[in-house]
Amino acid sequence: MAAVKNNRAIIAVNRFGLGATGAEFSAAKHDPEQWLLQQLVSPVFDKTLGDTESAFNMIADIKVLKQQSRQKNMKLPDIGRTLIRPYRQRLIMDSLEQSVQTNIPFAVRLLDFFSNHFSVSVSTQTMTLLAPILEREAIAPNLFGSFADLLIAVEQHPAMLVYLNNEKSVGPNSKAGKRARGLNENLAREILELHTLGVDGGYSLDDIRQLAMAISGWSITDEGDTGHGGFKFRDNYHQPGARIILGKSYGDNGEAQGRAVLHDLARHRKTAEFISYKLVQHLIADQPPKQLVSAMVDTWVKTEGDIKAVVTTMIKHSQSWDSQSNKFKTPREFVVSAYRAVNHPEAVDQGLLNILMRGLNFMGHKPFASGSPAGYSQLNIAWSGSDALMKRIDWVSLLSQKTSETPKNVAARIFDSQLSPLTVKLLAGAESRAQGLAMLLLSPEFQRR
Amino acid sequence: MNNKKIDRRDLLKAAAGSFIAWHSPAALSLTDIPANNLKPKLVWVILRGAMDSLHAILPLSDSGLMEHRKRLVTPVKDRAFDLGGGFALHPAFKELNRLYKKKQLIPVVATESGANSRSHFQAQDMLESGLPEVDTESGWLNRAVEVYRGASVAVAHTVPIGLRGKHLAKTWYPDLLRPASDDLFQRLKVLYKDDELLSERLDEGLENRQLLSGMEQVENKYKYNFSSLAASCAVMLADKDGPDCAMLEMTGWDTHQNQLGRLDRKFSQLDEGIAIIRENLAEQWDNTVVVVTTEFGRTVAENGTRGTDHGTASAMFITGGAVAGGKIEGRWPGLSMANLYQGRDLMPTSDTRQWIRAILSQHWKLNAAQLDYVFPTIKTMNSQLIRPVSKSTAAI
Repeated sequence: MAAVKNNRAIIAVNRFGLGATGAEFSAAKHDPEQWLLQQLVSPVFDKTLGDTESAFNMIADIKVLKQQSRQKNMKLPDIGRTLIRPYRQRLIMDSLEQSVQTNIPFAVRLLDFFSNHFSVSVSTQTMTLLAPILEREAIAPNLFGSFADLLIAVEQHPAMLVYLNNEKSVGPNSKAGKRARGLNENLAREILELHTLGVDGGYSLDDIRQLAMAISGWSITDEGDTGHGGFKFRDNYHQPGARIILGKSYGDNGEAQGRAVLHDLARHRKTAEFISYKLVQHLIADQPPKQLVSAMVDTWVKTEGDIKAVVTTMIKHSQSWDSQSNKFKTPREFVVSAYRAVNHPEAVDQGLLNILMRGLNFMGHKPFASGSPAGYSQLNIAWSGSDALMKRIDWVSLLSQKTSETPKNVAARIFDSQLSPLTVKLLAGAESRAQGLAMLLLSPEFQRR
Repeated sequence: MNNKKIDRRDLLKAAAGSFIAWHSPAALSLTDIPANNLKPKLVWVILRGAMDSLHAILPLSDSGLMEHRKRLVTPVKDRAFDLGGGFALHPAFKELNRLYKKKQLIPVVATESGANSRSHFQAQDMLESGLPEVDTESGWLNRAVEVYRGASVAVAHTVPIGLRGKHLAKTWYPDLLRPASDDLFQRLKVLYKDDELLSERLDEGLENRQLLSGMEQVENKYKYNFSSLAASCAVMLADKDGPDCAMLEMTGWDTHQNQLGRLDRKFSQLDEGIAIIRENLAEQWDNTVVVVTTEFGRTVAENGTRGTDHGTASAMFITGGAVAGGKIEGRWPGLSMANLYQGRDLMPTSDTRQWIRAILSQHWKLNAAQLDYVFPTIKTMNSQLIRPVSKSTAAI
C-alpha cells in the first residue's frame, strides 16, 4: 500500500505541480489530494513591476517622444530597445520567477492553462506592453472564483480589447456609427469559438454578430480620462437595442448587456464541456477519460461555473490518477520543472533564470508569442518532434553544467527514487555528475508527467 | 587545422566583464607585476571519465601488456613513440612526443587520486577537493591560489569543485547554446530504448543534425571543442592582467566499448589542445606548467566490448616550458597477475596529489605550512619537476 501512496505523491508533484522542489515531495506524500486542494488560491503579482496604468503611461510618453522628434526633426531614440522590451522582459521574468519559486505549483499550472486559454500575443508596441499584464490583472485574481467573473475580467481587460480589436468596434446605429467606422466581430467570434462554447458549440454567424453588437462600446480609456489605464464603456459606440443570442433576448442596458450575455455563456453546458475537456487534456491526457470530464461538467453546471469546485471534482476523481504518465511536458513545464529540480527554492538564481528564458525562446515556447488567439497547442504531438527533442537535449546539457546538484538527490526529491531499472542503471554509469543530471532530466520519466 | 592562433582582441572583448576587477583586494596590484609579466602560470587539465593510461603510455617492455590486451595494443604499438625505459607514447601524441624530446614533458605512471572507489563522481571529488574528507565546496587549486594570492579562471559554465572555495574564481565559457556531446547522445539512445516515441525522435534528430552540418554549425561546434577552449584559456593566461592559473575540463574518457577509435580521437584532441596552449602562451610558455590528470585508471584487461572498465591506477602528464622533463616518473608496479591490484587493475605507486604538491612547492614556491593547507594529509613528492632557475626569475 505504501508504494501506491507514494505513486500518488509522484503524480501530484509532477502531473499537477511543476516538479518537486525543496521539501515539497515530503509535504505531498502525506496526503497528495489534500496537498493539491489546499493550493487553490490565487497567485499574487507585484503591481509595481507593471500594470495597465504604467503601460498606458508609457504609451502616452512614447507618443509625446514621437511628436517631439517629428517637430524638432530629430532622430527618435530606439524606444523598443530602451523602453518597451525591458518592460515586457521584466514581467515575463517575474512570471517565470513565480513559477520556479512558488509553493502553490498547482495554482500556477492552472494560471498557465487559463493564460494560454485566453491567449494574447505581443505584436504592436502597445500589445508588447499589455500582453504580459492580462494574466496578472484579470486571470490570477479570478482563478478560483466563478468562471463568469474570470471571463468578464478578461474580455474587459485592455490587453484583450486591444488584441482582438474591440476597443474601436462601433455599433452601426450608435452615435459614433453615423461616421464611417463600424463593427468589429473579432472579439465576439473568439469569445464564442475559443473562450466559451468552443467551435462546435452550436452558435451561428448571427450569434457572433449579435454578441459583437452587445459588446460594442467595450473600449479603453483615453489619456484625458481620470483613472487612466483601463476599461471604458463608450456609450456613443454602443449599438442600441435588444440582442438575441442563442435564442435568448437581452435588453439594452448599456455595458451590462454584454455582461449579461457573458454570464449566460459562462454557465452554458457547452462551455462546461469545452473547458473541462480542455483542462483535462492539458493536465492529464490528450484523450481525456470520458467519465472524468462528465463529472466535471456536472459540477460546472450545478455550481454555475465555480472553477474551484470543478477542479476539486477533477482531483477527487480516480481517473485523474492513472499511473500511466500520458502527457509529454511542454517546453515551459519542462524548463520550469528542470529548474526546480536543480535549484533550491529559497534563492532565485538569475543566471539560471536567464537560461530558462533562453530555453523557452529556443524551444519555440516564448511567453505571449503564440501569435494566435488560440494560444499554444497543449497536445503531445506539438512538442515531441525530433528537433524539439534535440533542442531540449542541448539545453539540458547546458543547464546541467550550471548547477552542482546531484542526480541522486534530484531523483529522491522528485520521484522518491522510483525510477525505471534502466534509468537507474544508466545514471549510475554516467561519467560525470553533470552528465548524470542531464540524463535524469532527459529521462522518459522526467519528460513525461 | 587552421586558425590555431585566435584573435586576442576578440576574446578579450568577449570576456571583458571577467577582466574587470580580476584581482581580489588581497591579490597583487598591477604595480607589483614585473614589466615583462613573466609570472609562473599553472594550467590544470582534468580528464573526466577515467583515461586509459595503459593506452596512452604503453609499457611495451612489460610482457603482461600483450597478454592482457593484445587487441588494443597491436594496432598502435609499432607506431608508438619510444620514450626509453620500456615505455612508448600513443602515436596520436605528436606534440607530447616533441615536448618530451625538448625535455618539457614528464609522464608519471601508476598514479591514483586517493579515492578508494571506482565511482567517477567520488574519485573526481577526491581529486578536486584534495582533502582527506571530500568537501565539495573546497578545491585544492582554490586553496593554492588563495595562499599564493593570485587569480584564477575555470573554463567552464560553473566553477568546478577544484576551484571552489574562499578565493573567488572566475569562469569563462563561449556564450552560445552548444550542441550536447556525442557521448550524451549515445547514452540517451540506450536510455530511450524502451520508449518508442523518444527513441524514434532521437534517431531522426541525430540524422537531421548530420545532414545539416553546414558551415555555421561546424563553426559553432568548433567554439566548444577542447582545442578552441584551450586556445581561449591560453590567451587569457597570457594577457598582462590575466590569471595565474586555469582549470580546463575534457570529458568523454569513459571508454567501455570500442575504445581504439575513440581514444585515437581523444588523444589527438588532447595533444592538439596542449600544442595550442603552447602557441597561444608564446613567451609565457617558458613559465608555465600544465598538469593533466584523471580520476582513476581502467582495467588492465580488455573487456568484452573492445573497451576497458573502471580500474585503479592511471597516469598523469606534467608539461610546460618550466618543467624539468624528458624523463618518466613513478615506480612501475608491473603487470604480472601477482602485481595487479585486486587481480585486475594497475597497482598505484604514488598519489597524483603528491606530484601536484611538489609542483606548487617548486613552481609557486609555496612553503610547508601553505602546502599543508592545500593538501593536509599528502606528502610532497621528492623529485625535481621544475627547472631550478626558470627564465622568468632570470629576467627579473
